[in-house]
Amino acid sequence: MFDANLNEPQARLDRLQLAALAGLMLLGAAFVYSARMASEPNLVWYSQSWFRQVIWYGLGIGAGAAVCLLDYRTLARWAFVVYWLSIVPLLAVLVRGIGTTHGWGAMRWIDLGFFQFQPSEFAKLAFILAEAHFLSRPVEELRNPGNFFKALGLLALPFLLIMTEPDLGSALVLLPTGMLMLYAAGTPKRYLAWLLGSGSALAGLFLVTVLFVPPNWQLIKLEDYQRRRLLVYFGCEDSPATNLPRAEQDRLRKELRKQQFDDSHNVRQAEISVGSGGLLGKGWRHGTQNALGFLPRAVAHNDFIFSVIAEEKGFLGSVLVLTLYGTVLFTGIRIAGQARDRLGRLLAVGVVTLLFSHVFINIGMNIRIMPVTGVPLPLLSYGGSSVLGSLIAMGLLQNVYIYRKAY
Amino acid sequence: MLIFDQLKRDDPQLRVVTFVVLGGLSVLLAGLWWVQVVSARDYQESLDNQSYRTVRIPAVRGKILDCNGAVLAENRPAYDVCLYLEELGKPFAAAAQREVATARAQRNHQMAQEVKRLGRKLTKAERKKFVLTTKEKEECRARARFEVASNVVQQVSQRLGEPLTLDPVSFEKHYETKLVLPYPIVSNLDPAKIARFEEQSTSPLGVDLDVQSVRVYPHGTLAAHLIGWLKRDNSSMEGEESFFSYRLPDFRGEVGIEFACDKELRGMAGAESVLVNNVGYRQTENVWSPAEPGHNVVLTLDLAVQQAAEEALRRAPHVNFVNYLPPVRGAVVVMDVRTGDILALASSPTLDPNWFAQGLTTEEWQRISALQAEKNRATYENYMPGSVFKTVVALAALEAGLNPLERIHFDANPAKPTKAYILVHGHPIHDTAPPGDYDLRRAMMLSCNSYFITIGLRLGPERIIRMAEHFHFGEVLGLGTRQDSPGTLPTLQRLTEGWSDRNTANISIGQDPIWVTPLQVAVMTSALANGGRVLKPRLVDHVEPLDPLSGEAPVRFPSGQVRDQLSVNPRNLGWLATAMLADTEDPEGTGKHVRDEFPLSGLRICGKTGTAQVQDVHNNNIGQTTWFASFAPYENPRWAVVVMVEEGASGGTTCSHIAGPIYNALLKREQAAKTVAKGR
Repeated sequence: MFDANLNEPQARLDRLQLAALAGLMLLGAAFVYSARMASEPNLVWYSQSWFRQVIWYGLGIGAGAAVCLLDYRTLARWAFVVYWLSIVPLLAVLVRGIGTTHGWGAMRWIDLGFFQFQPSEFAKLAFILAEAHFLSRPVEELRNPGNFFKALGLLALPFLLIMTEPDLGSALVLLPTGMLMLYAAGTPKRYLAWLLGSGSALAGLFLVTVLFVPPNWQLIKLEDYQRRRLLVYFGCEDSPATNLPRAEQDRLRKELRKQQFDDSHNVRQAEISVGSGGLLGKGWRHGTQNALGFLPRAVAHNDFIFSVIAEEKGFLGSVLVLTLYGTVLFTGIRIAGQARDRLGRLLAVGVVTLLFSHVFINIGMNIRIMPVTGVPLPLLSYGGSSVLGSLIAMGLLQNVYIYRKAY
Repeated sequence: MLIFDQLKRDDPQLRVVTFVVLGGLSVLLAGLWWVQVVSARDYQESLDNQSYRTVRIPAVRGKILDCNGAVLAENRPAYDVCLYLEELGKPFAAAAQREVATARAQRNHQMAQEVKRLGRKLTKAERKKFVLTTKEKEECRARARFEVASNVVQQVSQRLGEPLTLDPVSFEKHYETKLVLPYPIVSNLDPAKIARFEEQSTSPLGVDLDVQSVRVYPHGTLAAHLIGWLKRDNSSMEGEESFFSYRLPDFRGEVGIEFACDKELRGMAGAESVLVNNVGYRQTENVWSPAEPGHNVVLTLDLAVQQAAEEALRRAPHVNFVNYLPPVRGAVVVMDVRTGDILALASSPTLDPNWFAQGLTTEEWQRISALQAEKNRATYENYMPGSVFKTVVALAALEAGLNPLERIHFDANPAKPTKAYILVHGHPIHDTAPPGDYDLRRAMMLSCNSYFITIGLRLGPERIIRMAEHFHFGEVLGLGTRQDSPGTLPTLQRLTEGWSDRNTANISIGQDPIWVTPLQVAVMTSALANGGRVLKPRLVDHVEPLDPLSGEAPVRFPSGQVRDQLSVNPRNLGWLATAMLADTEDPEGTGKHVRDEFPLSGLRICGKTGTAQVQDVHNNNIGQTTWFASFAPYENPRWAVVVMVEEGASGGTTCSHIAGPIYNALLKREQAAKTVAKGR
């Protein structure tokens, strides 16, 4: 099928986007190295994290290329199979014995021996594929409330399952992705307004309950650490149960305050890293926050990789990162615009919004405009599932680009 | 351009997506600009706060030297075996992990038993009870740390062949509050132990020697009161960085020259910043302001003269140990009458300033304070001058026109026929001199109270006090040693408030209400000897840099600073000198014991003995202060020697005897100086 395009005057691949992706991967490998330098000084080079990351890049590029072999329309026929296949490990991960917490208190991983598989990374992609496939039907059909709720249901299933792990961050990125896909598909405005309205009302209620109602009165039972993270983000103080004697309440309040200070440790340190980087940064491998262990070593190379880059390369480094992501995102939107059909367009929009949500939440968390949630920074954060997922998503985008012409 | 292409296209939905993405990236960009550029300095500050600790490094204290360069106070290195905790970080962590694992296993075992006992699975709340709390984990870590450190201490103990234990409380406190600083296991190793420690080439992990500077006074008790001593004080001096995370032990002068010249001696402390990691272990350090060593202080004191003075005072003869037990309580001052230089300043009982540097126990301090040994009796204790003060009364009388050759007769005391007496307003005042005719010379020589009371009453109190004010009695000398007492001299105002002739009679013979210090008497004696110049006593000759090659010029203190001029007729001083000469040369003179031990051939000494009666409120004699104030040579006075002993037999028998060996030492010193001069 490639032969048919031999005489195409236009490039078969979006080279600008690929260049930006290559830039991100280079940055990723370099800064995973920098971030892990202090933690694995005695490992041989091929066991070090940066090298494993490079291997994942290789595997990811392979997977992304493989995705491009078939026309996305052919792939979309399998959308629901893939969707349900992705739901299985999401369920499995909740079963004690299959899922593992890695000691973090959340069941997010399946231990495959050589690889800690994080099903939510792939569920996000499966969701985009299925939702795009579902919404690609004629616009008229979307006016049918039944279809609207089916589309919502497609979103709600993985969302709730991921919430149960719990992995608030990964679940939350599904919301803007789903919303923008619904919008781009041409769902009637009143449905969207209704969704937005009831959604914000629910979110507001949720936050008020979590933040201001004493624990023994709360309707929604969040995990303790989740509640505290939210409290940290909104700068609220946790209040002890009101039915306790005064002295006990004071003691608890003091303890909670200390706990909150400890909880905000990661964000505080990340912010100090970013801020102390200044305009030009301290130079690659010269960041002190990570080397001295103030930025916790367990998260420096994955969720907080951005603060390592920002500390070592300063504001200019941050601008570079944003430029690279911006290039990927805007080329992605251009691909959506050039797509041959609604399916391709929705796929592209889905991938772009998913990527954008990750970037915004992760970088926002480093400068405290977003709460701390375990959302990786695509391609920069260390982690096989995330790298694989991101590169497959990029493969989908390129796929839409490659097959943009009708033959 | 990429973005504008998309905005131009007629595709409202994608335009919204573009706006959302563009808006989001702009928000991030603005946020990053705010954090990384606008507030970068604040974050840099937070970073410095959490990752740097500043440590104050005390400077090497300057030496104190005598006028010939003999060392009176210096420093020696003291070696401590220390634990460098940052090197133990890994073993600490490993042991902590084991400890926590053990504790957890134990809990799991307990939980399993609980399950067995109940015969069902535990609820979440029940399970929670078996989870290790943060506090328990912290306790495990502390225990692990202590075990690791304790093992290291045992290794050190074996190597040194000395039983050592690690105190858990002080170790934990050090870990929590001073992690950056090494923890001392053994302080102040003796050379044998240092050798034993260094014998093996490798030390146990995290152990090394640490050097600290310790103040030593090689002559121990010698001139202890004048040199002074130190107290522990780590605080910042003026002109120094005032904020430090940690301060290494430092000392500050407490009294004496150590206090007076503290600023010169102590130098400028340095500062070091230590980069620490998140646990607080030391990573690297950087001395950003090295400590500047203090200056040497060279005193006017002469070691040989000081030794002679202390030795003579220690061997004081005929001391009446009724009110106190030995050692002798007294003081000696030797002053150059031309320059005011203090050649010796002794106070007994004495103490060893080394004790303060090494740390004093409460018992030791109680022993010292029971003897009041910490007091410099030459400058800080007030005594009635007794007959020594008669020189001032005589001078005032001569100035007022007393004929020194006028003879005054005193009758025998009916109660004690061998002694004279005088009636003041019908009250008899006993005398120690025999009855008969007295002129000034004889009255001085025999210290006739009746004579001086007579001329004192003739003169009136005002002129006596005016003359005493010229000598600056009742005022501090401005030594800066913190042990400088003004004494008491009644003011002219006091004369209008119920002053009686009895009071006049009392001060005429140097009794209450006049109180002085031996150094004040030395200043007085010098003024009588040098033609009427009341000098400022000079303790410090010059301050020089520790390193003679530094090129910094020494700071010299001017000698012969005149505080006051007596402005008296030189002939009157001559009369006085002649009378004082008789005191040591006439067979009848009370001060003739000055030649008991040494012939002091060729040296003509002018002296005045004194014995002041110490009375309680009921006028009962409860003790006496004995004096010998002297200067020599008569022809060309150079030295004043003042001796004071509490409870001496009399100024003559006890104090003038003590002055002998001191004059001998002064003569030797002069001899040595001449030899040196000839040699050149």
